[in-house]
Amino acid sequence: MPKLKKIAAIAVSALMAVSTLGTGAFADQPYDGYNYDWWGDPVPSQTGYVVDRVVSAKDLKTGKRYNSVDQLKDIAEKTGKTFFNNKEEYLEHQAKYEAYDKYKDAYKEYEDYLEDLEKYNEYLEKLAAYEEYQKDPEGKEEVKKPREVKKPEEVKEPEKVEEVERVKEDDALMPEIELTTFTEPRDMFIDDDTGKLYIVDSGNSRILVVNADFSGDVEVMDFFYNPETDGYETLNKPRGIFVRHDYTIEDENKQTMIYIADYDNGRVLAVYEDGTVFQQFTKPPSEFYDDKVTFQPSKVVVDVAGNVYVCIMSITDGAVMFAPDGTFSNYYGANRVEQTAQAIANKFWKTILSREVAANFIQAVPMEFSNFDIDDEGFIYTVTEATKDTQTDIFKKMNPAGENILINLGFSEYTYGDAASYYYKNTTYRSSINDVDVDENGTIRLLDYTNGRVFEYTDECDLLFIYGGSGDQKGLFKAVSAVEAYDDIVYVLDSAKQSITTFKRTEFGDIVHEAMSLYNEGKYEESRGPWNEVLTRDSNYWFAYIGLGNAELSQGNYELAMDYFYRNSRSGYNRAFKQFRMEFVRSNFNTFIIIIAVVVVVGVVLSKVIKYMKKKKAGGK
Amino acid sequence: MRFDLDMPAWKWPFYVAKHPFEGFEDLRWKKAYNMKVALVIVLCLFLVTVCQHVMTGFLFNTTYVKIFNIVPLLVQTIVLFFTWVVGNWSLCTLFDGEGNMKSICVVSAYALVPYIITQVVVIIASNILERNEEAFIIFFQYFGILWSVVLMISGIKTVHQYTIPKTLIAMIFTVFAMVIILFIMVLLMSLFQQVYIFIYTIYTELMYRFSL
Repeated sequence: MPKLKKIAAIAVSALMAVSTLGTGAFADQPYDGYNYDWWGDPVPSQTGYVVDRVVSAKDLKTGKRYNSVDQLKDIAEKTGKTFFNNKEEYLEHQAKYEAYDKYKDAYKEYEDYLEDLEKYNEYLEKLAAYEEYQKDPEGKEEVKKPREVKKPEEVKEPEKVEEVERVKEDDALMPEIELTTFTEPRDMFIDDDTGKLYIVDSGNSRILVVNADFSGDVEVMDFFYNPETDGYETLNKPRGIFVRHDYTIEDENKQTMIYIADYDNGRVLAVYEDGTVFQQFTKPPSEFYDDKVTFQPSKVVVDVAGNVYVCIMSITDGAVMFAPDGTFSNYYGANRVEQTAQAIANKFWKTILSREVAANFIQAVPMEFSNFDIDDEGFIYTVTEATKDTQTDIFKKMNPAGENILINLGFSEYTYGDAASYYYKNTTYRSSINDVDVDENGTIRLLDYTNGRVFEYTDECDLLFIYGGSGDQKGLFKAVSAVEAYDDIVYVLDSAKQSITTFKRTEFGDIVHEAMSLYNEGKYEESRGPWNEVLTRDSNYWFAYIGLGNAELSQGNYELAMDYFYRNSRSGYNRAFKQFRMEFVRSNFNTFIIIIAVVVVVGVVLSKVIKYMKKKKAGGK
Repeated sequence: MRFDLDMPAWKWPFYVAKHPFEGFEDLRWKKAYNMKVALVIVLCLFLVTVCQHVMTGFLFNTTYVKIFNIVPLLVQTIVLFFTWVVGNWSLCTLFDGEGNMKSICVVSAYALVPYIITQVVVIIASNILERNEEAFIIFFQYFGILWSVVLMISGIKTVHQYTIPKTLIAMIFTVFAMVIILFIMVLLMSLFQQVYIFIYTIYTELMYRFSL
């Protein structure tokens, strides 16, 4: 018996040891996946995205200039720079210059030697004269002894070197540039049609274009040919970019249009794919635009019709909207004023007091929005960075008239980002959304600057995933500035870490998206499988219950739908309940009638009986 | 029928509710104040409040039911009711009120009956109605509250033999009195806690000192 026990003990301990080997292999995420339940409480959840890679400028290596060699030569001529074919040529030139520099120094030394030699010869002459005078001093003018001059060391004449002008590194114009760093990259854009990623390298005042999978060459755009002036335009701290295709144009070179928000130059530069400027959007005339306010575009978006929307941080009236021909047309989609107690009180007093007095009141001004995006249907999505006081209109989906259409979808206004703010070391941290991306499926991704998180929503603003975080590790961020999605990959740009981080979807994320797309296509029955799969992997996953509820609702299983919607979605429950009640009343109509009839009859009879009894009682008295 | 006032004690609250103005006069005249009925009504108020938290339909339930804690509900109903009674009594004895503690308690409890009944109706309706029919629920809720307030004013007026303006002023000041009472109660509780901690500390100190 003891032997058996011993064996059992060894087996168990061996099993336990083996099981520890298995764990820990999953802890490769720097952040914990979480989601919000119906109450707004955070619950742990499976992550929908994991970090794939981090790409910095060094990983992209060299970039090729957009402009042709001829153009570069032209640019060099016009801007006083010097053209080199490649880095080697420049280095050669540099070496030549250094050699020339050395020659110059050496030659100067040689010149000094010659001078000294002359002086020495003079001294020798004088010494000879003095010696002559010493021999026979009488009758002659007095000759003093010259100060002694040493014989200079001999310096040979240096070999002659060709004269070369010095060229600073900034003035050297080469078709290839070594990309050492992104400096404060501000924005990103992925062109869905070509799969190209545009990076706004703000600090270096250039645009980098690379394939979305970071393969192949990087194209660098920093000089733009302007046919009007026959000169070249450069950027100055650009902050935003947008790319638009118009396939109705016959000329293939003109189908792709790139709009760059050129912040410090105060304009939006519109160029074709080949770098030719075709339009510039500058400060509108003063009758539309306050002269005292600067015009510094930070973001730009263009709709299908070619209307250009420019986001300017100093303007609270909304985006500045330009017609396709470049004239100012309107302000678009201003935020509402935050309804604080003070704003309401001011409104009240303004109705009572005279205009002169009311004019002295502090004007309640809405927050300007900080970023926007446009989807395929022409809806514009704006985000506003929340401050301590402002929570209004953090995220909007606007129709062409500039009205927010997300307000009346549900019973209450939506919340975006982290539901609760938290207080740590004298600072309140609250989600501050600074970028939005809408992909072709309508999936919305919001970027939270405070915590460096990406919040992924469905097209109806139901939260799907939260990923990212703040910190130093791979997959965490310091100062996020842009988010873009292409296929299943999400790109996040960090302007402090100066890198792009890509996230790829996990299996869990794939299932959720599959279920969603099935449901959106109207295949409710088919979507049930993936949703159940989601729930077996994560029973906390709030949105799966809603998906299942919707599926059951469309199948006519109202009671089951109600079960799924219970404490998950009030609007869904309401829809299911309405149907359930109607069906219930319809199917039980006869029973109802019978019950009502019985109740009425019994009531009448009882009241009669009671009356009779009372009468009898009274009569008996 | 109306003047046949020889009815059992449990019928009085309903009679009063049906006759908001003369009911209390009759109650006073018959001296039919019954403490047991009043206490049952207060208990019903508490039960209805609990039911409201637990049984209101999902579509209309705004409470955070993840955690159910009965203590706040107790404070909201029973403690608040008796604070009202004590506050009103202590105020109105100073202002020529004729009511004593028992009559104030009974009258206030009787006045709550419409509120309790409509709450029951609302709880049932919230499980039958859908979101678009919310108006019915709101109507019932306000109707019950209004009726109870009218009864309360009428009852306090009758009990103390006040005029209506004086009743209203007395009721407003009763609310202030309640605030003060509750404040003092919280203060007392924290003081007692301090005393308890003090005694407990001495006890543990002694235990260590003499290593008992």
